Amino acid sequence: MRRFAYYPGCIAEFSSKELDATTKHLAPMLDIELLPMPAATCCGAGDIAEAKPNLYLTLNVRILSQAEEMGVDILTICNVCTLNLRRANKMVKEDARLLESVNEELVKAGARPYEGTSDVTHLLWYISTEEGLSLLEKQGPKGLNGLRVAPYYGCQLLRPSSVMGFEDPDKPQSLERLITALGGEVADYEAKSSCCGFPIILAREEVALKESHHALSQSRDAGADCMVTPCPLCHLAMDAYQRKAEAANSTEYNMPVLHLPQLIGLALGIDNTIMDFKRHLVPVDRVLETVAG
Amino acid sequence: MATTTFDIFRYQPDVSDAQYRQSFDLEHEGDFTILDAILRLQDEQDGTLAVRYSCRSAICGSCACKANGKTVLACMSQVEDVKKEFGTETVQVDPIGNFAPLKDLIVDMDPFWEKFKSVKPYLIPDGPAPEKERIVSKEDMQKLFRESACILCAACYSECNSLAADPDFVGPAALAWGYRFAGDVRDGQRKQRAKLYTGEHGVWDCTRCMYCNERCPKGVNPRDAIEKLGGIAFQEGRSMHDAGARHAKAFLISMRTGGKLNETVLVPFTKPIGAMFDVPFAIQMARHGKAPSPIPHKIKKLDEVKSLIKNVKETI
Repeated sequence: MRRFAYYPGCIAEFSSKELDATTKHLAPMLDIELLPMPAATCCGAGDIAEAKPNLYLTLNVRILSQAEEMGVDILTICNVCTLNLRRANKMVKEDARLLESVNEELVKAGARPYEGTSDVTHLLWYISTEEGLSLLEKQGPKGLNGLRVAPYYGCQLLRPSSVMGFEDPDKPQSLERLITALGGEVADYEAKSSCCGFPIILAREEVALKESHHALSQSRDAGADCMVTPCPLCHLAMDAYQRKAEAANSTEYNMPVLHLPQLIGLALGIDNTIMDFKRHLVPVDRVLETVAG
Repeated sequence: MATTTFDIFRYQPDVSDAQYRQSFDLEHEGDFTILDAILRLQDEQDGTLAVRYSCRSAICGSCACKANGKTVLACMSQVEDVKKEFGTETVQVDPIGNFAPLKDLIVDMDPFWEKFKSVKPYLIPDGPAPEKERIVSKEDMQKLFRESACILCAACYSECNSLAADPDFVGPAALAWGYRFAGDVRDGQRKQRAKLYTGEHGVWDCTRCMYCNERCPKGVNPRDAIEKLGGIAFQEGRSMHDAGARHAKAFLISMRTGGKLNETVLVPFTKPIGAMFDVPFAIQMARHGKAPSPIPHKIKKLDEVKSLIKNVKETI
């Protein structure tokens, strides 16, 4: 059993509870023990960094330090949290003077200083390695019955590769490996690592909806039954805002969008009520029908 | 010696309006760049093949193009490396993205230069000129080290996802230059620059796709510069002037009040009027359990966070 400090991120805890619930349910099946982080803040989602860069760094190092104190690495289920935590980690690991000044602030605030030993990984990275896929195999998955799945990576789990580093950002294959291992078919398309627009969807809705159009229209044209994403922000942009994107781009997508653990859950045959698909705005009926056979 | 097929975008508007692709086979030595290939093809096979270049040494920034879809400097990119990276024997060469093609690999850079000029990419010091040069400490110059390395090749602009959706976005290169001067201790226009860069198509238009940081051949990291400009805007009292700024401010408020994102604050704070008129969408969201909780979420040890918010100084 691999122990992780579990950092679901704000969206999975609030708007997209179905992601958190499915992850927690799957964890023991994937040989993972999830340890809660009750004192962890939001990572700032890039917004705190855009307003107060030093504060962003200090808050994220505080989270890394909490995991260090627990003696485990951090597991995330969100692209944005992964980037923000990994970036802060890289900044202080590569600059001893910077770490020292961040630690001074942490100590002044009564928080634990960071020694620089934590690592941050995403559930997709954990499960898409050979070792991770063999864990799925052990569960004897009933499989996806040839479901055509469009992998959608979004941006921040891939780029910048100097911070993320798990796979080539121009030829990612982790979702493809997973889809194939679970008995699905990959619906390939170019825009799988283009932006969903979510970071500016409230401030610049018209721009954001033009961005999500690329992946939604291309995955539809590739004949996908559904899309799968490792990021709850991408999920909101692609699922919750899909009807708006259809209106803005004068087209129809009708594209169900699954969270990564939901795809795994479907293949392993876990109870649909746990995955709580009714929280999606685009119905997933055709996905459930295909998987059921 | 190796043989490579180059599949090149062609457009010769003085002959016809057609945009098409043309394949050329070329035998070449192992140490051979994309630019070497284009120039050899121009010399030996088709003298009309148009490309913009100058220094051949990754300094002038004129020869950016796409090799197998990825924006690179043609003079800095080895043919054999591209083939190996993509597992292909063919190299597709295209003009950079987010620009209108003028002829073959040459694009119309005018919008790029207009946006560059619009950020006032030069030092505007306060007061009369000093008798001797203005001295800058090593530490102060270090802050601008990355942005100073920009060669204006437009590799960032070529793949910017915001620009593809909003052609008016001023773009990553111009904003990196903006920070180059807004962050310079000798400049006297910090406040004016904060305003200039945070208009409708400025800093808050960036969608954080991170392509600029990924593609820059000089390690400028334009996205990081955009982030610092946001920070300067906050320092200069512009935290409420744009929906993008208010979005960031809502995160700060959430952090102070509970340590986690407070969605009840985020939406109405970012777009107070828009949120009011978007009732059908709000109802849809609520129906699917996505209505924000009226009770703010509180983490343990929130005092630590409050203390950090109060005490951490920004050094942009």
